Amino acid sequence: MLTQMQVRGLMFDPYTNAYIVILRDDGNTEMLPIWVGKPEASAISFAMEGIATPRPMTHDLMKTVLDAADAKVISVVVTDLKENTYYAKVHLSYEDSEYSIDSRPSDAIALALRAKAPIFVTDDVIRKHSNEEMDRWLENLKPEDFGKYDA
Amino acid sequence: MNVMDSALVKLTVQGVLADSSPNAESQVVLLQDEGKTNTLPIWVGTAEGMAIRLALEGIIPPRPLSHDLIRSLTEHLGLKVAKVVVTDVKSNTYYASIYLSSKESEQTVDSRPSDAIALALRTRSPIYATRDVLERQAPEAVDPWLKRLNAKEFGGAV
Repeated sequence: MLTQMQVRGLMFDPYTNAYIVILRDDGNTEMLPIWVGKPEASAISFAMEGIATPRPMTHDLMKTVLDAADAKVISVVVTDLKENTYYAKVHLSYEDSEYSIDSRPSDAIALALRAKAPIFVTDDVIRKHSNEEMDRWLENLKPEDFGKYDA
Repeated sequence: MNVMDSALVKLTVQGVLADSSPNAESQVVLLQDEGKTNTLPIWVGTAEGMAIRLALEGIIPPRPLSHDLIRSLTEHLGLKVAKVVVTDVKSNTYYASIYLSSKESEQTVDSRPSDAIALALRTRSPIYATRDVLERQAPEAVDPWLKRLNAKEFGGAV
């Protein structure tokens, strides 16, 4: 099962010095933060804010190459989460065939925003995300956190 | 060789260097022709510089980077990157074209030189500059910079 997500925003994480793309479903029940690098974050931010750069940026080129071939981005899907790394697929239609191409979510999202293609996340990823998040939360608990509410 | 081709000079990427001037965030890709008579330095962003450097060093990252994805897209669509050409320079901005060929047709796509070079290295496509571009880069601006570079950056490697 797939859940359609919208890009709700970009945040800077000062602890990891990275950017976080916030994906949210239309019902606002699921939220998925994805850590991305600085160049991918600016690629996503330019597309979100509709900023046209004087020269084509890398993901604009990606879109132009697809346009030149008359290939269409049907959707992008965040398909897996393994050891804190998210995996995605770009689904293309070209001539009479469909193709799924392995991608980082950051590139897939930057391309989807330019191609006005929907972004989906598998339920599996949403479930794994909540588990990993719980694990991380538990790992980060310090001894003093436990006694906090005793007094 | 047609008229168009004779106006092109084939270049190879010699390396990516950090620009040591204080305000520069960018890096410099050094292109050179086979006879080493023409050198074309092109300033690129940090991410593009990294993308070029990884390809030069043959490093395959665990996950596909943006230019790996572009290569993957062209492969799936049966498009061949025939060549990339640095076509123009206007107010210190270089322009490039990527020549894509499929079964039926050949098309050119507008690109920054950094993306074109990062892609060409991944698809093993030749890189060219027009003679015009090589002649029009301001030697008075580039030469002192190259001299300084030769003395400093290249010194360690010789």
